[in-house]
Amino acid sequence: MASEIFSQLVDAHYAPLFRFALSLTRNSSDAGDLTQQTFFIWAKQGHALREAGKAKSWLFTTLYREFLRGRRRAERVTALEDLGPVEADPPAPEVDVVTGMDAGLVVEALQEVDEVYRAPLTLFYMQDFSYKEIAEMLEVPIGTVMSRLSRGKTQLRSALARKESAGRSKVVAFNNLSARKLP
Amino acid sequence: MNNEEAKFILQGYRPNGTDANDAAFQAALEQVRRDPSLREWFACQQAFDSAVSAKLGQMPVPAGLREAILAGGRVTAPDAAQGRWWRSPVLLAAAAGVAVVFTTALALWPKPAAASTALADYVMSDAAHGDLHSGHGAESLEAMLGDPATRLANGLTVNFAALRKGGCRTVNYEDHEFLEVCFNRGGVWFHCYIGQRADFPGLAAGPTYQDKDGMSVAAWADQTHVYLVAGKAGRAALQQLL
Repeated sequence: MASEIFSQLVDAHYAPLFRFALSLTRNSSDAGDLTQQTFFIWAKQGHALREAGKAKSWLFTTLYREFLRGRRRAERVTALEDLGPVEADPPAPEVDVVTGMDAGLVVEALQEVDEVYRAPLTLFYMQDFSYKEIAEMLEVPIGTVMSRLSRGKTQLRSALARKESAGRSKVVAFNNLSARKLP
Repeated sequence: MNNEEAKFILQGYRPNGTDANDAAFQAALEQVRRDPSLREWFACQQAFDSAVSAKLGQMPVPAGLREAILAGGRVTAPDAAQGRWWRSPVLLAAAAGVAVVFTTALALWPKPAAASTALADYVMSDAAHGDLHSGHGAESLEAMLGDPATRLANGLTVNFAALRKGGCRTVNYEDHEFLEVCFNRGGVWFHCYIGQRADFPGLAAGPTYQDKDGMSVAAWADQTHVYLVAGKAGRAALQQLL
């Protein structure tokens, strides 16, 4: 029975957990390790959680804490918040451009956002958690979540614009014959 | 609420509409309905957010990750101690000992009313003679406290360590640290003192009020913090805040 519950939990959450881990670690291999580690912690102690409905937020919170614990860069995270006022909205790439972009490219842009904004932004874009739940998971006030989302989206727009611009001006290598073929 | 405030709040509005009934967004959404330029901004914002969300959801997960997690889970034994501590006579005896000590301590502990009275006196005195204080990093809490929609006793999100690190003024009461954040509600200034609940286990959770020398104070506690809000506007003004 315990094994069945564990399987259900993995099936329900391993993909979004991996995507969250990927945005944090910027590395597929590390993200996989972090996702596994989170479930192993659950296997070891998570069964003590009385309310099954809280399992999802427990898993995301645990993954985030494990990530921070592994990295030990709390000072850097704090310093990043002293960046001054939010910039005005940069010219955002058209929605059609984002829609036409490869998912990997959009995630790459997300990974370029400063970590302190990236964690709440990724949780927001997963759409599984409200701003209140994100505040609880990251242990910050609600106003801070709103502020980080605002700054994070500004950085994401800039990163997407850079990706889009780089894509347009990309020079095809002379020896890449397949890319040089006309349709 | 102006458009900039509405934009700030709506950054947290998920594009799938899950937050449609969240009271915190209602005023901003009303502003969206009223103002065409804000409506246009919000539509672009939602379309952009929706597109990014969709892309994130499309990100493939490595093949074999699910199987690796399931296999690892099978060989990860749960903590043996969890859920079975009562089967150990040693732990059972220890628990009984703790219960006896706890009961004794509870009987000898100063009465909550007395403790909160002294603390409230201290806070009223400090607030009456002090300036208005805040600190870097306390802006969002200050805004939350000053928001007419916030009922303070319904729960505040406070990161004690971050506030202290941000330079919030701290006061010391019987070797226990309190942070002070001042806020303005409807043109009236209040002083909010935040302490650690663990330092005041005997303090009553429900709001209690005291008045002295033209100052009034409300004290209450949640699971992690104790709060005292003091001001010169009288008890009724404090009751409205809570």
